[in-house]
Amino acid sequence: MTDQNKRIKDYFCKHTTRCTIEGVKKSKRFVGHDILKADAWDKVTGEAVYPDDISFDDMLHIKIKRAVHPHAILKDIDISRAKKVQGVVDIIVAEDIPDVRQFGLIIRDQPVLIAPGEKMRYMGDALAIIVAETKEAAKKARDLIQVKVEELEVITDPFRAMEADAPNIHPDGNIVITHHLNRGDVDEAFKNSAIVEENRYQTQFIDQLPMQNEAGVALYDERHGVVDIWAATQWLHDTQADVAQSLRLSKDQVRIIQPTIGGAFGKKEDVSVHIHLAIAAMRTGRPVKLCFTREESMITQSKRHPITIINKTGVDRDGYLTAWETKFVGDTGAYASSGPAVVHKGMYHATGPYNCPNLRGVSHAVYTNNTYAGAMRGFGTAQGAFAYEQQMDILAHKLNIDPAEFRLKNIYQKDSITPNGQQLTHSVNAEETIKRVMELSDWKGGRK
Amino acid sequence: MQITITVNGAKRELEVTPYTRLLDLLREDLGLTGVKEGCGKGECGACTVIMNGELTASCLVPAPQADQAEIVTVEGLGTKDDLHPIQESFVEAGAVQCGYCIPGMVLASKRLLDEKPKPTEKEVRYGLSGNICRCTGYAKIIDAVMLAADKLAVEGSDSND
Ligand code: FES
Ligand code: FES
Repeated sequence: MTDQNKRIKDYFCKHTTRCTIEGVKKSKRFVGHDILKADAWDKVTGEAVYPDDISFDDMLHIKIKRAVHPHAILKDIDISRAKKVQGVVDIIVAEDIPDVRQFGLIIRDQPVLIAPGEKMRYMGDALAIIVAETKEAAKKARDLIQVKVEELEVITDPFRAMEADAPNIHPDGNIVITHHLNRGDVDEAFKNSAIVEENRYQTQFIDQLPMQNEAGVALYDERHGVVDIWAATQWLHDTQADVAQSLRLSKDQVRIIQPTIGGAFGKKEDVSVHIHLAIAAMRTGRPVKLCFTREESMITQSKRHPITIINKTGVDRDGYLTAWETKFVGDTGAYASSGPAVVHKGMYHATGPYNCPNLRGVSHAVYTNNTYAGAMRGFGTAQGAFAYEQQMDILAHKLNIDPAEFRLKNIYQKDSITPNGQQLTHSVNAEETIKRVMELSDWKGGRK
Repeated sequence: MQITITVNGAKRELEVTPYTRLLDLLREDLGLTGVKEGCGKGECGACTVIMNGELTASCLVPAPQADQAEIVTVEGLGTKDDLHPIQESFVEAGAVQCGYCIPGMVLASKRLLDEKPKPTEKEVRYGLSGNICRCTGYAKIIDAVMLAADKLAVEGSDSND
């Protein structure tokens, strides 16, 4: 049928990113030289192998039945009609895999499949794995699965989630983690400030939207007890360890093989297709493939956190920052993912590249029934940047000074100390950068 | 049902269902995995092919509709050892990052340069406007197309086949 059937070993390393050095001139130094990208030839000819380009003879196709409500107890799941669809090989529900454990990047709070009596917490939760001879059969069977649920209050706002009477999305409550930041005497400094400005900022969900959706192929070598998974990840060894603990295998029984990745931008830090693929491969003994549609990728996998930022900033008459108080409330959605790290990292960067002697901050990463939020370029700092740069502009206008001058007065220099106590002992070119921007943009002062 | 299509110069007779997408026919039945799927909804251009001389989102074309069509995919341009000048320009300009959009970008560039051998930057942007890239920010892709236009001009008109 297909012209492209390759042998297993063809998929191991031949086509991955770092295996060729064509075009790289023998040179010890790279900075300042034009270096051609090693895998560009594969990519311009269409030869590069991405996860969904891998196929095996005798391969089965997987579809996932997902949650039918963002916050509900699963009462019953009926797969009897779905099983009768021609071409269906296996439909796996939670009771088929009683030993499988939860997974997650920082906190292992994500179930592999929701069992009756347990809760679905967002629309991406998986209820069943459908394995069939064709994609069409798997899809048809998926749509015939019947589910009964008991609906619970859907929490979409982290401030609601933090209220005392809000239902707990996870057993330990809705605040995943709280961090504090303290330096100097903030109250005293505000009292002595010429201007104090307090504002509330809100950022939104953003999908990282790599061009390639999550996809993968898996194969179980029963004789050696090893499962091979070809799928994208940004944390090869963490993914391997998480998949292994979830399936109660040792790490050397799980091989994650990284094909060419069609973009990630943080979205592919989390486990996506991996565990479902492994389970299906081990149960059926045949190669299996699972490709998310764009819609499924958007519903199921991580987002950039929407963060509410409340900034209170003081300045003296000469335009120097005196005190900064900040609060970060990050909506991490149904599962923690990288949220505990992202939200507090955002808070530690609350003052941006500006010196401020007195600081007080608190951050909460909060569960809701939204799609979970995780890593995306900047890891919390992009949200913070929106808020602190607005503060700087507003203060400059109130002081009636040039916003660029105001920034230059307060900008980090060598030996500045960041909010988390790091001294910048190496080169800091922030001042130079602002000056260059002023020059290039023919800056006229920006006063009201 | 049976259809006949010419893909990258070779005539193929294929058995398809009325619902088979041209995209799946090319990728799964013919093994032309350089044709990518990014959205399945005609929005992103990753599945771009040249069909009867026009840029076409293969995810939106039911295979029977491609009966008798002439189709060019990225595999029909050049090989790793013998790149088409457009492909060569993408490599040299550093226009390739994750690469997932690149087959579509290369074909959109081909279609553009076939019609306008000396495009302005604005025309290049317009010519590529059906193709999304999430990695590069487009600047180097546009450089690559301009570079390709120069290369093709030097090589002469017969390279535009
Ligand atoms: S996959 Fe066809 S346009 Fe996106
Ligand atoms: S190079 Fe990654 S999407 Fe264009």
